[in-house]
Amino acid sequence: MKRTYLGEFEEIVLLTVAVLNDAAYGVAITDELDRQTGRSVSISAVHAALHRLEEKGMLKSHMGDATAERGGRRKRLFTVTALGSRALHDIRAMRDQLWNSISPNALPAISI
Amino acid sequence: MNAQPPHWANRLLEWFCAPHLLEEVQGDLHERFERNSTRLGVKLARRQYAREVVSFLRPFALKRQPNQYPSIPLFSTDMFQNYLKIALRNLARNKAYSAINIIGLSIGLAAAMLIMLYTKDEVSYDRFHAHNPFIYRITSKSVTPAGIVANQQPYTGIFPGPKFQAGVPEITTFVRYQENQKDLKQGNEVKSQTVHFADSSFFSIFSFPLLSGDPKTALKSPKSVVISEELAEKNFGTTNALGKILFFKDDDKFEPYTVTGVAKKCPQNSSIKFDVLMPMMVKAEDMADNENWFSVFMNTFVILSPNANLKTVEAKMNQVYVADARESIKSVAKKFGITDKTVYSLQPFTDMHLSKELPASNGLVDESNPTFSYILSGIALFILLIACINFVNLTVARSLKRAKEIGVRKAVGGARGQLIMQFLGESFLLCFAAFLFAIVLIELALPTFNQLANKALSLSYLFDAKLVVGYLILFIVTSLLSGFYPALVLSGYNPVQTLYSRFNLSGKNYLQKSLVVLQFTLASFLIIASLTIYSQFNYLTSKDLGYDDKNLVVIDKSNLKRSEVKLLKEELLKDQNIVDVAPKNGGFWGTVAKINGETQLSFAYETVNETYLPLFKIPVLKGRNFSTAFPSDSSQSVLVNETFVKKAGWKNPLGQVVDFWFKNEKYHVIGVVKDHHFASLSQEIKPQLFTMKAANEYGKAFIKIRPTTETASLQHIEKVFKKLFPLTPYSYKFLDQENLKRYESEAKWKQMMLFGAILTIFISCIGLFGLATLSAERRTKEIGIRKVLGASVTGIVQLLSTDFLKLVSLSFIFAFPAAWYAMDEWLKNYPYRINLSVWVFLATAFIAISIAFVTVSWQSLRAAMINPIKSLKTE
Repeated sequence: MKRTYLGEFEEIVLLTVAVLNDAAYGVAITDELDRQTGRSVSISAVHAALHRLEEKGMLKSHMGDATAERGGRRKRLFTVTALGSRALHDIRAMRDQLWNSISPNALPAISI
Repeated sequence: MNAQPPHWANRLLEWFCAPHLLEEVQGDLHERFERNSTRLGVKLARRQYAREVVSFLRPFALKRQPNQYPSIPLFSTDMFQNYLKIALRNLARNKAYSAINIIGLSIGLAAAMLIMLYTKDEVSYDRFHAHNPFIYRITSKSVTPAGIVANQQPYTGIFPGPKFQAGVPEITTFVRYQENQKDLKQGNEVKSQTVHFADSSFFSIFSFPLLSGDPKTALKSPKSVVISEELAEKNFGTTNALGKILFFKDDDKFEPYTVTGVAKKCPQNSSIKFDVLMPMMVKAEDMADNENWFSVFMNTFVILSPNANLKTVEAKMNQVYVADARESIKSVAKKFGITDKTVYSLQPFTDMHLSKELPASNGLVDESNPTFSYILSGIALFILLIACINFVNLTVARSLKRAKEIGVRKAVGGARGQLIMQFLGESFLLCFAAFLFAIVLIELALPTFNQLANKALSLSYLFDAKLVVGYLILFIVTSLLSGFYPALVLSGYNPVQTLYSRFNLSGKNYLQKSLVVLQFTLASFLIIASLTIYSQFNYLTSKDLGYDDKNLVVIDKSNLKRSEVKLLKEELLKDQNIVDVAPKNGGFWGTVAKINGETQLSFAYETVNETYLPLFKIPVLKGRNFSTAFPSDSSQSVLVNETFVKKAGWKNPLGQVVDFWFKNEKYHVIGVVKDHHFASLSQEIKPQLFTMKAANEYGKAFIKIRPTTETASLQHIEKVFKKLFPLTPYSYKFLDQENLKRYESEAKWKQMMLFGAILTIFISCIGLFGLATLSAERRTKEIGIRKVLGASVTGIVQLLSTDFLKLVSLSFIFAFPAAWYAMDEWLKNYPYRINLSVWVFLATAFIAISIAFVTVSWQSLRAAMINPIKSLKTE
């Protein structure tokens, strides 16, 4: 299997794009990340990650509508490509496989 | 209105962010800003916005998207050929314009290159010696008890060399070098020859190659002599002169000297130039006389070991001096009342040539004033700048004609970079032509320049790596300077406008105007400078000196005895063309004496006899002249000049006592002489004292002859001189010519400035001519219509000329104050000077305006005379 290089942050951003479905753009992704993970990330970091993911072919984008609060500027809306979807699934499968391989008492208990 | 994010942050983002990302990034930031400003308040939101903008300074945001069209290569042979063709066609089509540019630029380049040649030669002085950085000259300064440096002394006596070498380990060798005159016998002729005495280490310190002879031993034994190849050629007809004999006079007798070496001609850029070099012989009794520390008359050079520290060496030198000379410092201080302290120091050998305080003199040659280099470089820069301005102005003014070409090029896909390359290339081409032309100009101008600058430069100097690099840099800088702005402007034209023929270039054009003003400011400045220097020079050379220097022949005869004077006079007066004869001491003497009891006064000390003052027509204001009727005059009486009286503060000068206390002699003032300029006019009149003291030697005689009898008188003088003093070389000078020679440097300045002024005004004017031509061309139709409507020729000429004349007049506003300041400063060098008169400025204004008017009106007139039918028909 060809390995997919995806950083942790990239993975989260990619997942967030999938969560937001048709409304994934810079500000929305940043807010969603904040809401879901409690991480306060800078917008430029999100942009950089999106840019990188698009270069890797895991995201595609098109220009959306302009709104007044954006000063009449359009937003760039992202959607996950097949390759992106594949990468997410691969990661998930690999994690599941690993989880399944852990013997029940191997991990110390973290709650009563 | 809504709150806005900080403007600067927006600008910053727009500047750095890649264009294809800008919209989304800026949009996102705005959206967040809007939300933050309602949530957190405007102030915090703005701060947050700025922070976020800065956080976008990341590679992904900075990186530009590759252009979707293929990039156009800046250098492509096809396009290059096309550029070349178009450039050559343009040059050929606008011959006047090309000529103006090439001539202007080549004059500018030639001037700049000449000056580079000059400065290179100046700074290369004395650098050719193999021991170069380690050769120093011993110098000294006198320091007053208050710690002030009273004067600096580049010379030394016989002691410092040997004694410092013995006492300071860092000083490896020394050489003393002294100039003298010796009579040289050539067949039956006796000629006065400049000779130099030097220690035998001379050739081990300085790199003067010998054609023959051993440099180590050449100056070892007495009565040996090293001569230059030139002198060998002259005396023996061959440079193979080793072992031959020359006769020099020592104490009234000609002695044979054996040639022990023939030296190659000293390099042009050497401060040491010798024809005859003799071993320096210092008598043992002189070395024993400790007071010789205070007898200072020659140059001493030393070599320091490479790792020596200059400060420590100097300190050690002074320790040696203080220890060795302790006794005589005390005795001399007592005898002459000297309170100043002597401090020895070292001057790098290569610093001498351009040093003002410690010049290369007293046997060293070519001392030079660095100001001269600065002024020359300034003028050259002016000229080059003006030529570049011409280029810029003409190219921009002419661009209307090329606007269509630019439009077409852009329409078919020419990029701006390509156009810039094209126009820069054209300026390089023109500069290159000018550069070649400049080299021809230099070759033509070098002889005159050499004469003016007192140099022997030649074009072959050009083939020096550093200089060639310098010239290349000059060439590139000039090309860029003159080509860059036009290239930028021309390539920026909007193709739609130019092709639509709605292009309007006749805007305000402030740049062109201010450049013209700058040109004429420089030109007017130089005109004022040369006019001022001219009048100051005239003033110096024609000012009444206070004595009559006409028809005066000066002959030198050292050690002229009283009896010889009498004999000489008797013999000379046998010819009725000779009016009178007066002897005087040779050279300039100065000494110090006490007046009013204790006050010391230094003054020029002139030994004359009773004929001197009448011969020079110098009036005696009070008292009387020396007289043979008073035999005691020679031992008791002196005359002084007015300045002396003023400095001494005497109300009643007659009968006052001048006390030469160190010789224990007292004299009484018997007369006061009117002040006269016995020295150069660049010096103030100093106190002067005349004596007839019998012990003082005469060194020359002034012979007054009748006007217009020069030939006959000189023949008689020569005959008498050779009869009376067969062993003394005979040479004569006319005093008025000698006086003129004092102003040689001013004469040089005058010529330099004149050349500079002429060149700048010439280049400015050809530039103006070009501009006038273009403006007349542009307004052909307008002129036609005006004429049809009844305008007169004068009216049209006026219309076309006033604009330019206004600019020229405007330039005076800048030039006059600057020139006034500069010239005022320059004139302060002269105690006797002209006042800067309004006339100089008026004359400059007149010259500049009339030259500019003639230049401009020639074109305007031509435009105004054209038949309006023709001009209106042109399309």
